[in-house]
Amino acid sequence: MENSIESIWKKGFLHETSLVAPKINDLYNQKSKHVVDRVKRMFRINQIVIVMMSVLMPAIHYFVDALWQGITASGLMLITLWYNDRIIRSIKTLDQGATSFDYLQAFDRWLNDVLLKAERIVRISYPLYMLIAFSTIGSAWNKQGLPLKLQQRFPHFLSIDTISVVALIVAGLTTLLMVLFSARIYRWEVRLMYGRVFDKLKDTIAEMEKLRHE
Amino acid sequence: MSKDFYQTSILPFAGIIIKICRAYTNSQEDFEDYYQEVCLQVWRSKDNFREQCKWSTWVYRISLNVCLTLLKKKKSKGHMYFTSDVLPDVVITENRAFEDEPLNQLYIAIRHLSEVDRAVILLYLEEKSYPEIAEILNTNANNIGVRVIRIKERLKKLLDGKFN
Repeated sequence: MENSIESIWKKGFLHETSLVAPKINDLYNQKSKHVVDRVKRMFRINQIVIVMMSVLMPAIHYFVDALWQGITASGLMLITLWYNDRIIRSIKTLDQGATSFDYLQAFDRWLNDVLLKAERIVRISYPLYMLIAFSTIGSAWNKQGLPLKLQQRFPHFLSIDTISVVALIVAGLTTLLMVLFSARIYRWEVRLMYGRVFDKLKDTIAEMEKLRHE
Repeated sequence: MSKDFYQTSILPFAGIIIKICRAYTNSQEDFEDYYQEVCLQVWRSKDNFREQCKWSTWVYRISLNVCLTLLKKKKSKGHMYFTSDVLPDVVITENRAFEDEPLNQLYIAIRHLSEVDRAVILLYLEEKSYPEIAEILNTNANNIGVRVIRIKERLKKLLDGKFN
């Protein structure tokens, strides 16, 4: 029994000092850090994806004979990248407050503000991406001589130069729809990418609030 | 969480929480994190306590569940864990949470066990009966005895020559 694990356990815990509970000052300190760090990490991953896409865009468009459209899309992405970078940097200026509850609330307010601003931006950028996409399709068709073939096949369809009026109407309507629904599409995208972590943030704030009032 | 709840329902059982959290953490920082998370979870789940078991059993169960969940999360993030039969000296010098040196050595050895084996041996050392251990771990009581013998043998092997 002298050196059995049972005796080590019993003797060891005879010293009461080894069982002093740590002080609980700020229960959510670590948790808050984890949530905010996770959002920051996801934003950074998003930035990396944008960089990769902005490099790939001109290359892909080059092969479909639409280099300028690729460069334009890439430029638009780089502007988004620059804007996002400014947003991420602004996290540092957030008021950390006296407790993690204050900080999380400030972070939540900041996040809502950022998402609102982003919604306004996508109302312009998404239709632009759509126009670039249509322009790319047009260029690719031109390369294959498709518009000419279509004109010969359907001579009664109106066309301006070699561009079919029907195609222009479809492009115009789709772009208009994109103007109308871009904010909704953006919200859906955000939900898909960040939904879980945003829910976690809301849950943590709600729980902290409950904890404060009990 | 009210001060009253902490003082009446958690603090008297802090020993249980500390013993368990120490077995699943390698640093003071992690230990304090785990301890706080267990306290929070005990508070969150207080309404689910149906008095079908003792409050201490409830605290054991929550403590183990929280520690296992946190450890799983940590593992999925790629943290390293030792599983050898020999205690590495580096770890021994880093993990002295208790004043009693043999107890420190025992804890280091326990941390080398699998997560479930750690739970079994902790409950055994806390003098819980096999049916109680099975109840807390939500498993069959029949093989707990065999498992305890096997774990003790492994601990002896791990502790061999590490203290007098």
